[in-house]
Amino acid sequence: MSDVLVDIQRVSKHFGGVRALREVSLAIAPGEVHALCGENGAGKSTLIEILSGSCRPNAGQVLLAGRRLGLGNVGACEQAGVAVIHQEPVAFGHLSAVDNIFVGRELTLAGGLLLNRRAMRRGASELLADLGGGVDLACPVRCLPPAQRQRVAMARAILRDAKLLILDEPTASLSERETAVLFALIRRLRNQGVSVLYVSHRLEEVFALADRVSVLRDGRLVGTRLAGELDRATLIAMMVGPEASESSRLGGDGPAPGKAGEALLEVSGLTRRGAFEDITFTVRAGEVVGLAGLVGAGRSDVARALGGVDEPDGGLVKLAGEILPGGSVRRAIAGGLVLVPEDRHRQGLVLPMSVGANLTLSVLRRLTRMGLTRPARERRMAGRIMGELDIRAESDRAAVSTLSGGNQQKVVLGKALAAKPKVLVLDEPTRGVDVAAKAQLHRTIRLLADRGMATLLISSDLPELLSASDRVVVMRAGRITGELTRDEATQERVLHLALPPDRANTEGGAS
Amino acid sequence: MNMWRRIRAMGLWHELVLAGLLAGLLAGAWYFEQTRGAEFVSWETQTALSSHMWEMALLSVPLTLIIISGGIDLSVGAIMSLSAVTMGLAWQAGMGVWPAVGLTLAAGLTAGAMNGTFVVFLGVHPLIVTLGTMSAYRGIAEGLIGAEPVSQFPAGFLAMSEPLVAGLPPAGILFVVLAIAAGVLLGRTAAGRELRAIGYNETTARFSGVAVARTKLLLYTASGLVSAVAAVLFVARRDTAKADVGAGLELTAITAVVLGGTSIFGGRGRIGGTVLGVLLLHEVRSLVAWRWNRDELTFIIVGAMLILSVLVHSVLTRRKS
Repeated sequence: MSDVLVDIQRVSKHFGGVRALREVSLAIAPGEVHALCGENGAGKSTLIEILSGSCRPNAGQVLLAGRRLGLGNVGACEQAGVAVIHQEPVAFGHLSAVDNIFVGRELTLAGGLLLNRRAMRRGASELLADLGGGVDLACPVRCLPPAQRQRVAMARAILRDAKLLILDEPTASLSERETAVLFALIRRLRNQGVSVLYVSHRLEEVFALADRVSVLRDGRLVGTRLAGELDRATLIAMMVGPEASESSRLGGDGPAPGKAGEALLEVSGLTRRGAFEDITFTVRAGEVVGLAGLVGAGRSDVARALGGVDEPDGGLVKLAGEILPGGSVRRAIAGGLVLVPEDRHRQGLVLPMSVGANLTLSVLRRLTRMGLTRPARERRMAGRIMGELDIRAESDRAAVSTLSGGNQQKVVLGKALAAKPKVLVLDEPTRGVDVAAKAQLHRTIRLLADRGMATLLISSDLPELLSASDRVVVMRAGRITGELTRDEATQERVLHLALPPDRANTEGGAS
Repeated sequence: MNMWRRIRAMGLWHELVLAGLLAGLLAGAWYFEQTRGAEFVSWETQTALSSHMWEMALLSVPLTLIIISGGIDLSVGAIMSLSAVTMGLAWQAGMGVWPAVGLTLAAGLTAGAMNGTFVVFLGVHPLIVTLGTMSAYRGIAEGLIGAEPVSQFPAGFLAMSEPLVAGLPPAGILFVVLAIAAGVLLGRTAAGRELRAIGYNETTARFSGVAVARTKLLLYTASGLVSAVAAVLFVARRDTAKADVGAGLELTAITAVVLGGTSIFGGRGRIGGTVLGVLLLHEVRSLVAWRWNRDELTFIIVGAMLILSVLVHSVLTRRKS
């Protein structure tokens, strides 16, 4: 078995009732770049966590070079030669690159009493130069740009003689040039005999790099293939599975002609200094308007201002013809505009509280009689929403924290719908949600629109945004740069408006 | 079985443990005292000893709400002293005793509202705010009154410390009423649910349209008012108004609340737990004082109980998940 470095044997992991991995077996050869593909929630992260030791599987084992890996023990896994480089590869953000590379392996002087800073600095600079260099050794790592942080993490792994390097979406925040440097480095490490487990959503990278590809779906291994034998369509089909491909195409027909209802949300000249300026657009009843733009373009800031979380400095918002005073969530909700915020854990849910308590939180005061809550009425309301949105929970009394990501997101949406809004502002409603729940959310958004809801949809998933919206408003650096009808809106045109003009030709991929 | 399930589901085990400890303590005391004649576990002794408890008990009710909302109020003892001094000076200056009480309550209310204002509008952490006002209020109190305590309040006022119903003085009755009101507030009103949501996740509460600022302002103001009430009752009980009234009481009350199962990090907690925490703390102190007359022993036992209760809690909740 000399051609197997890592042998993952029938590994299973479940979190409560959710089965994240089911009897996954996978072998990685020495000096192989092995790509791991799958939709969100397929089990990739869980597998990475198991290999890194931060999560112990319920069953199965992993052999590394023939020896059992001490699963559930980060130190043991690192010792054995597993190194994980996460999307945000910061171990100790406030320490310098040198300290991060040598932490736990410090070079010392005077019999271990003193740190040999000079030698460590030299070592670090040599390691980093080998990786492409250009890293400021003195700065705290958290101040370094992502590409440099990644190099620090790689240097750290190399110093520890990593046998298996796990890269989790390593190019997510890299420019094209930085990506090319990274790829060259990965190939060099491979030639030195290091195995690489490469996790990425970008299929072109998988094809460019990988020797073999393994696909996970719903916690199961769909299969492992030689990259040369695969094409894009086959790989996508493996990832999506037979039944889900139908739901990827959405309703999106827009309101019936002539029925394009009254303007429910009219935003004119809305400005919040430092965030966005002179935002003007209209959303009509029955319409889904997509708000596109790169991360940092100010889309969420607009959403927050509309929802009353932040107070705008200028401009006007009209809800069904009436002026909505800014800066009050309660007035927005009372007026009929509800924001579904982007960060469901931090902004959308009270995780330790029950599903029912979360669903009714915004409207609790409407449900009381003589100041007292009415549990029966709350339960009826919660039950109705849970049924409508197909929220899977043990009961309305289960803590929201016990639900899966998709169901948690449905609770956030349900909480918004409980207020019976006329206008919905959805900020990244499908982020981190599995395929099935995503399709359900898409259907729900369309259904609501058909019933006359005016919806503003923000999503960084451009294909999703295009297929779900009737119109797309594009923002760049806090300003609206264009508005596209359904027919005009292609990924290319949206990107052209969203990207800074001079880079539009050289950079790809905004999602 | 069903009842056990229900207890587990509601997380009532903490209250059960406390009630068990309390019962065990009283049973043990009763057994030992049988052989010695003096009776700790008797109506007379218990009512006599309970008179010391009520002020701390009163403070613990708004404190429970504040801690559940994710805050803390360290200044309740200092507000008591400020209020007691106000009471003393007003009476000394020739004001009628009941108008003086009114002024005192207004002073406590104002002090609490100041806490709330600092917390809400300056966005400073309540621990810092009330640590500061604790020291400031007590300083003002000491500066105002000087060394001589005020006493010789009229008999009608002092009568407030006499038992009224079932051996309970007005302070005890007020505690029962307050505890029930707070229990209803927490369990059965929108405001109670909202303040718990604030404690668990203030950002989500704000994004959900909960009036976070108003809720906090009201909580700290209520805490100040209740502290002033406790101060008035203290002055009536001891016939003395001075600056060290309520000294250290904030920590005893916080201890009782945490002992009662309220999470110091906010969100989790119940009034029933606080009531049991107050009773347990009081009984331990009384018993130690009664049998051994040694205060330092009390501190050690209370400290050990506090740490143990939090430990037991974390062990039990870990197993559940």
